[in-house]
Amino acid sequence: MAVKSVGEEGMSLSVLPEGCIAKVLSFTGPTDACRLSIVSSMFKSAEESDAVWERFLPRDYQSIIFTSDSSVLLASLSSKKELYLRLCEKPIIIDDGKKSFSLVKKSGKKCYMLSARDLMIVWGDTPSYWRWNSDSSSRFGEVAELISVCWLEIRGTNLCNYAISRNNVRSIPRVQANRRSSRAGLPASGADLWGMQEPVAARENNAQNPRERGDGWLEIELGEFFCEEGEDRELEMSVQEVKGGDWKGGLIVEGIELRPKEG
Amino acid sequence: MSSSTDSPTLTTETTQLSPQPDTETAKPTKKITLKSSDNQIFEVEESVAMEFATVKSFFEDSPSTDTVPLPNVTAKPLSQVIEFCKEQIKFKANPDEAQKKKYNAEFVTEKSDKDLVDMIPVANYLEIKDLLDVLNQAVADRIENKSVEYVRSFFGIDNDFTAEEEAALRREHAWAYEGVDED
Repeated sequence: MAVKSVGEEGMSLSVLPEGCIAKVLSFTGPTDACRLSIVSSMFKSAEESDAVWERFLPRDYQSIIFTSDSSVLLASLSSKKELYLRLCEKPIIIDDGKKSFSLVKKSGKKCYMLSARDLMIVWGDTPSYWRWNSDSSSRFGEVAELISVCWLEIRGTNLCNYAISRNNVRSIPRVQANRRSSRAGLPASGADLWGMQEPVAARENNAQNPRERGDGWLEIELGEFFCEEGEDRELEMSVQEVKGGDWKGGLIVEGIELRPKEG
Repeated sequence: MSSSTDSPTLTTETTQLSPQPDTETAKPTKKITLKSSDNQIFEVEESVAMEFATVKSFFEDSPSTDTVPLPNVTAKPLSQVIEFCKEQIKFKANPDEAQKKKYNAEFVTEKSDKDLVDMIPVANYLEIKDLLDVLNQAVADRIENKSVEYVRSFFGIDNDFTAEEEAALRREHAWAYEGVDED
């Protein structure tokens, strides 16, 4: 017969240890974890642990941050939760200033924005048609201002897996064009704005209803598409108005955003 | 995986993968006795007991014992944990991922909230990683999008925040309280 027993005498297992609570919370999502932090002080302490938030950050977050302009700042944050919230609140600039990266707060899914400089803008290098300005309300160093063109064509390409969400959940990013109208307003009505993807067709949006973003910029949904984890198909999206032949102007392009569909 | 080569007398090292009978004595597989805190006796096959990392290392330290007292584990969750591990042994012998997944899903589906919550610290203490993953996921699924009050009663946990503290924390993460399910 054994003389000693396994474990410490008197240790009760009727209460869940904090480590177990943290583990359970890490199997939920950022919204659940944050909300449930007020269940009790032990839940709060479990919820704040790095073990929980490490799982909510994208798996490749370190390599993304490493190439950003704010890697030093981000490395100085004291916890993974702080890092997560910081990435939700303010996009970081990556890829030599050409793209931005952020997270969707409720899900932890990734958002990218291709800056105007990362897009192919037809006539973009002709100063009488397009002008490159800095704009304090933009996250990027430069935005493209349309002076006047007949042939409006903006194209962006991106590897599909750039836009993938974490945990191999299928994501359906929306493609967005962020624009701010000048006094001339949006491009002539009937402008044909659409998104496309090859080889799988995206849902096109010809009924452009610009939405206010609340920061002075407007956005128009171009379309949505599916991305599987690990896919590296190229996604192509475009905004164009080339049929009418009218002169168009008064458009400022910040970039095209790829973000996961809510819900 | 262990130091069996150094200590040939170690009884814990028989592997569970090939249920070949002992040719010399043809005796049945060795049983190990587990004793819960409420003094219930569980006789389990050695291969099952070795699924519990805590019990396994206990035997590595004291190879001559045959009864393992578990003074902080009650009978009910222990019997459920044993039930789970018995099945896992079968899947180890005949790997079938689809069947295993199906079994694991059914195992948790038929358990009450309390059963799941009671099993977590036991699985944690006995270090049964597969079961812990299954339980954590099952509990996470059941508390998904639920209110704070619901989760308190789910775990049987008392709120130890003052009203002011709770209100301040709610304000801090107001975004996380939108669209929660009805209790």
